[in-house]
Amino acid sequence: MIRQVSVFIQNRQGKLESVLKALRDADVNIRSLHIAETADYGIVRLILQDTEKGLAALKEAGVMANINHVLAAEVPDKPGGLCRIVEALGKEDINILYAYSFNPQNTSNAIIILKVIDDDAEKAVSVLEAENAIHLLDRQELLKK
Amino acid sequence: MKYWNKTYECMSREDLKKLQLDRLKSTVERVYSHVPFYREKLQELGVGPEDIISLDDVRRLPFTYKDDLRDNYPYGLLAEPLSQIVRVQASSGTTGKPVCDGYTRNDLAMWSECVARGLVMAGADTTSVIHNSYGYGLFTGGTGVHGGAERIGCSCIPMSSGNTARQIMLMRDFKATHLTCTPSYASYLGEAFRDAGVDTAELPLKAGLFGAEPWSENMRKAIEKSLNIKAYDIYGMCEICGPGVAVECEKQDGLHFWEDFFLFEIINPETGEQLPDGEIGELVITTLTKEGMPLLRYRTHDLTYIIDEPCECGRTHRRIARLQGRTDDMMVIRGVNVFPTQVESALLDIGSVEPQYQLIVTREGKLDDLEIKVELSEDFNLSSIPELEALQKRMRDRIHSVIGIKAKITLVEPKSLPRSEGKAKRVLDLREI
Repeated sequence: MIRQVSVFIQNRQGKLESVLKALRDADVNIRSLHIAETADYGIVRLILQDTEKGLAALKEAGVMANINHVLAAEVPDKPGGLCRIVEALGKEDINILYAYSFNPQNTSNAIIILKVIDDDAEKAVSVLEAENAIHLLDRQELLKK
Repeated sequence: MKYWNKTYECMSREDLKKLQLDRLKSTVERVYSHVPFYREKLQELGVGPEDIISLDDVRRLPFTYKDDLRDNYPYGLLAEPLSQIVRVQASSGTTGKPVCDGYTRNDLAMWSECVARGLVMAGADTTSVIHNSYGYGLFTGGTGVHGGAERIGCSCIPMSSGNTARQIMLMRDFKATHLTCTPSYASYLGEAFRDAGVDTAELPLKAGLFGAEPWSENMRKAIEKSLNIKAYDIYGMCEICGPGVAVECEKQDGLHFWEDFFLFEIINPETGEQLPDGEIGELVITTLTKEGMPLLRYRTHDLTYIIDEPCECGRTHRRIARLQGRTDDMMVIRGVNVFPTQVESALLDIGSVEPQYQLIVTREGKLDDLEIKVELSEDFNLSSIPELEALQKRMRDRIHSVIGIKAKITLVEPKSLPRSEGKAKRVLDLREI
């Protein structure tokens, strides 16, 4: 399982900037960023190179942030790659809450970050591990990509 | 018909004071012998019914607070057995235990008399059609006006609130001459008529009695213009009886309070001392004829002042000025009494948020809107937007069930709301009224 940092921000000018500045000042690299927004607020989801340090810097800056667990799946970067993941989970009635792409620097494969409900997480891991064309990454592997 | 009850409304000041003293004495006797709560309070102060010799002696009597009503909920302050109580009503928008009042048949007659006097001041008679858009139910607005209208013999339309399209259709079809509702709803109806392309000058509507929330002279002018009527202020509260305790006459310069039924005082809310006429202070009311739930020196928390000059209308009962504000943090939103503490406990019941919140009241167009900004708890698990939305919905539903208002819930970051030293700045009332 991968640790993702979730940040709550109000949907207002300057809010995202203060989050990003806190990470910059702590010298923490963002490996992936995803924003889910409503009219009033949003959740910024981050995969950080150094999660502990980044979380501490955010808290220090008064940002509301906490850790959730997500899955990272590596698939060939070809048509139908992502489809395999969704199909495999769908067969087992596992719902994906949200998903976004991770930007790898050292592979031509695609990496997808996935969130399923916590009760389904273990089952999702075994389902995806059983698929040949899908490689589930652990934390160390992901950060090397 | 100029007066509903000329004998009483135009009674000489001297006779009125005599009547007040007689009635004050019997009220003190009644509570002393029938209400243990008051007997104890009076005994503590060393005051008995025999000590009431002049009207000034009212100052020796204990104050009654809203909390006393809550502590003695529901029937603890009744001076009559339930066999004599014919109706129970309760105040709007109170969490948990409401403030309620029990009325005897005579109390209802007194109340309808008060309202009848007010309706007649607004030009009503037996031929009038009263379109009553105050809410019917536990809230005293609907039934209060209804009783007064029936007493006169008007045709009363028990419309209650809501469904504006139907309201304007029936006002036209039933040929309403008078409208009774909150001032903000009156403004809203004015807009609705305009939007429907109805020229209000062609309606038989000629006057309205509006109350249950604060409004201003500017709002009066706007309502009078949009509905093409005369708009009168009416004051009251459930604890005393309901609307009609004080009402404006055709001079529209202050509200006559019915001194044959109520003793009004204006006090300094800090010291409890009486203030001279003309000075702004807290209105304190002693009921003079109530049987079900007589109250001594009830602290209304409403700020106003007494206008002592005789009124050109010929009525001898003195007037209070339009309400100037509140001594506590109660807000009146869409005619509903709201205390920030009610909102606070509702939010905390739901959890996941901090007891840091701000209530923002605005009047967008003609209706009040309530926005509640509340800080999320630091440890709330930010797993998904639908979960945050579900949390907002739970809060919105909870607030709706507690105060009867659908508020907009805005989640904000922890420690982002303004803090002030001592008392938090809970309320931002941005209404221009």
